[in-house]
Amino acid sequence: MRRPRAGVTRPPLVAALAAVLAAVVLLTGCGGRATTHHKPGTSHEEATGGTGTLLTARDESGHRLRELPAAEAPAVRVETRPDTEGGWNVHLTVERFRFTPDSTGGAALPGRGHARLLIDGREAGRLYSPWGHIPAGTRTLIVRLHADDHTTWAVAGAPVQATVRLDGAAPPSPAPTPRPTATGRTVDITVSGSTVQPPPSRVELHQGERLTLRVTSDRADTLHVHGYDRELPLSPGTPATLTLTADRTGLFEVETHESGLLLTQLVVR
Amino acid sequence: MTGPLTRLAHALAPDPGPGLPLAHGVGSRHDLPLSPFYAYAGAFAALLVSFLALGLLWSSSRFRGDLSGRPLPLALQRVADAPATRTALRLLGAVAALVLLLHLLLGPDDPDRNPAPGALYVLLWVGLVPASLLLGPVWRLLNPLRAVHSLHPPPNPRPLPAALGIRPAALGLLLFTWLELVAPDNTSSATLLTALALHTGVQLIGAARHGDRWFAHADPFEVYSSLLARLSPLGRRADGRLVLRSPFHGLDATPQTPGLVATVCVLLGSTAYDGLSDNPRWITTLQTSPLGPVPTATLGLLAAVALVAAGYGLCAGALRLMNRTLTTPLTSFAHSLLPIALGYLVAHYFSLFVTEGPRTVMMAGGTDNALAPAPFLGPGGLATLQVAAIVTGHVLGVVAAHDRSVRLFPPDRAIAGQLPLFALMIAYTLGGIGLLIA
Repeated sequence: MRRPRAGVTRPPLVAALAAVLAAVVLLTGCGGRATTHHKPGTSHEEATGGTGTLLTARDESGHRLRELPAAEAPAVRVETRPDTEGGWNVHLTVERFRFTPDSTGGAALPGRGHARLLIDGREAGRLYSPWGHIPAGTRTLIVRLHADDHTTWAVAGAPVQATVRLDGAAPPSPAPTPRPTATGRTVDITVSGSTVQPPPSRVELHQGERLTLRVTSDRADTLHVHGYDRELPLSPGTPATLTLTADRTGLFEVETHESGLLLTQLVVR
Repeated sequence: MTGPLTRLAHALAPDPGPGLPLAHGVGSRHDLPLSPFYAYAGAFAALLVSFLALGLLWSSSRFRGDLSGRPLPLALQRVADAPATRTALRLLGAVAALVLLLHLLLGPDDPDRNPAPGALYVLLWVGLVPASLLLGPVWRLLNPLRAVHSLHPPPNPRPLPAALGIRPAALGLLLFTWLELVAPDNTSSATLLTALALHTGVQLIGAARHGDRWFAHADPFEVYSSLLARLSPLGRRADGRLVLRSPFHGLDATPQTPGLVATVCVLLGSTAYDGLSDNPRWITTLQTSPLGPVPTATLGLLAAVALVAAGYGLCAGALRLMNRTLTTPLTSFAHSLLPIALGYLVAHYFSLFVTEGPRTVMMAGGTDNALAPAPFLGPGGLATLQVAAIVTGHVLGVVAAHDRSVRLFPPDRAIAGQLPLFALMIAYTLGGIGLLIA
C-alpha cells in the first residue's frame, strides 16, 4: 500500500495533517484497486498483485500467466496409480508451493495457490491438496499450478505444469487393455458356451496382492467379482481386463451374470 | 460359510438370467478353506480321547433326560408362562412376518436393497440356531402361522396319525434347504413369495384339519428350532418347571418320534452339500453337466442326504446285529447326531450370520445397499472356530451316544457296542472336514 510521505520539517501541524491523511488513506484503501479485501473465493477478477510479472499470454483455459524467476517459481511432479475401482489416483509432489484453499480468489502470493487438472486438454477440476482422483479413460493428464488469483504460475513464458500419459484406456471402453502400471498376478480365462477354460479352480492370493483378470467371452456378458463387487462388461471375442487389489480375506466367486457361470474362485488369505 | 444369499449381490444386472445355484443365496463372501493337517489332527485326537476316556470312566448312564435340572425362580417362570408374554411374542412374530411380506411385495426385487431375503435366510434360518440354543424352542412362540391359525381354530380337530411323527417337517426342511442351496433366483421376490405361499398354505390346511399340534410335527422351522433347543441349558422338566440343566440331559430327552432320523439326516446332508457347493470340481461338474445345473445340484443335495442316512443306517444295522434286544436301533441313537449337525451349522453359518445379519438389519432400517461388515475374526480365528465347532459337535455326539449305549447294552458289550457309532463319527468327521478344506 502506498503511504503518502509526511513532511518532516513542520512537525506539529504537518504531522497532525499527515496522520489524518494517513488514516483516511488507510480507511479508504489507498485509492488503488482493492486486491486483498475480498473474502476468499469471492473475487471474479484476476487480481493484479505485485508478485512476479503478469504476462499478456494466456494458457488454453484462458488464464493469464504470472512469470517468476525459475529459482523462486513453484515446481510440480505428478504420479498416478490405478485405483481398484477404476480410474487413477493422482499424487502431486510440489516444491516452493503450498495449497491455500482458504485464500483462493485473493491476491497472488508467491508459493501459494492450487492445482488444476486438465484431462485430454479439457479442464476437469482443481486440487486443493496433493491427492486426487481422475476417471478411467484418461489419456493425458496435465497438472498446472495456479496462484490464488487464478493466474497460472509460469517460468520463461511457459506454465508450471507436469504431464503424464495414461495410454491404457480403462473401462468402459469396449476393448480395455491391461493398464501399464498394473502389477501382480494375471489370470486368463476363456468362456465359450458353458465351458470355462481353464476349468474353475482357486486363485490363491495374499491379502493386498494385485490380481488382473483377463476374460474373453464368446458372448456379451457381465463379469462380476463377488465380495469386491466389481463388474466388467464383456463383449464377444474381445479380452476384457479387470484389476483389483485383494484387500478382503475370504473365498470370493468370479462369475458371469448372463450365462451364470463360475469362472474361478479367489482365495484371499 | 456358504449359503443361500450369494445371488443377492447381483444388483446391477437388469436381468440376472438363469443363475447357477452356488452356495447360499445371500452373502458374497465365503469362508476360506481350512488347513487340512490341523483340522484332521485335532478332530481325531479329540474323538479318540473322548471315546477312550468314556469307555474307561463312564460305565453307567448319567443322563436323566427331562427329569433333571435346577428350577428357575417361580417368579421368572410365572413371567415366562404369563398369557401376556405369550400374546406379546405371538404379536411380535406376526408383525415381523407382516413386515417381511410387505418388503417382499412392495420392496425392490434386489437382495442388495431388500432386507427380505436376508431376513429369511440369515435372521430366521441361521438366527434360529443361537436363539434356540439360548432360549429354547422360540419358533413355537413366535410362529406367525400359529397366530393366523388361532384366529379360526377348528372345532374338532382330527388326531395326527402316530406314524407321521415329524416326517412332514423333515420333508419341509429338505425343500427349504433345496431353496437355499439349489434353487435358481432364490432371492427374487417372486421365488420367495411362491415358497412362502406354499409353506403357509400347507401349514394352515394341515392345522385346520389337525389343530395346532400340526405345527409341532410339520412346520420345518418349528421342528428345527425345537430340536436345536434340546441343546439349550434352558429347558422344561417333565413336571413343567422351567429349569437350568446340562444340555446333555435335554439332548437325552429328545423324543424318539418317527422322522427324527430323517430330520437329522436332512440337516447333516444339507450342510454337507453346502460345503460341497464351494468346491471348484463340483462347480465344474454342475456347469458341464448335460442335465443342466439345477437338476444336477438337486441330485447332489439328495445324494448328500442319502449318503449321511446310509451311513447312519449301516451303523444302526450293525448295532442291531450286536444286540438283538435293541428293537429301535435307528431312533435310539438319532439324538447323538444333533450336536454334530449343530457343529456343522455353526461352522458353515457363523460368518454369514455375523456379516449378513447386521447388513440385513441395516437394510431393514432404511440403509440402501448397506455394506456388510467384515467378520470380526481373522481368517485364522474363523478357521479355528469352524474346526472347534465341528470337533465339539462330534465329541458331544460321542458322549451322548456312549451314555445311551451303556443304558441300552449289557455292561460287557457296552464298549464294543459303540464301535459302529464311533466308526460313523469318524466317517462323518472325515467327510465334514474334507468338505471344509476342499
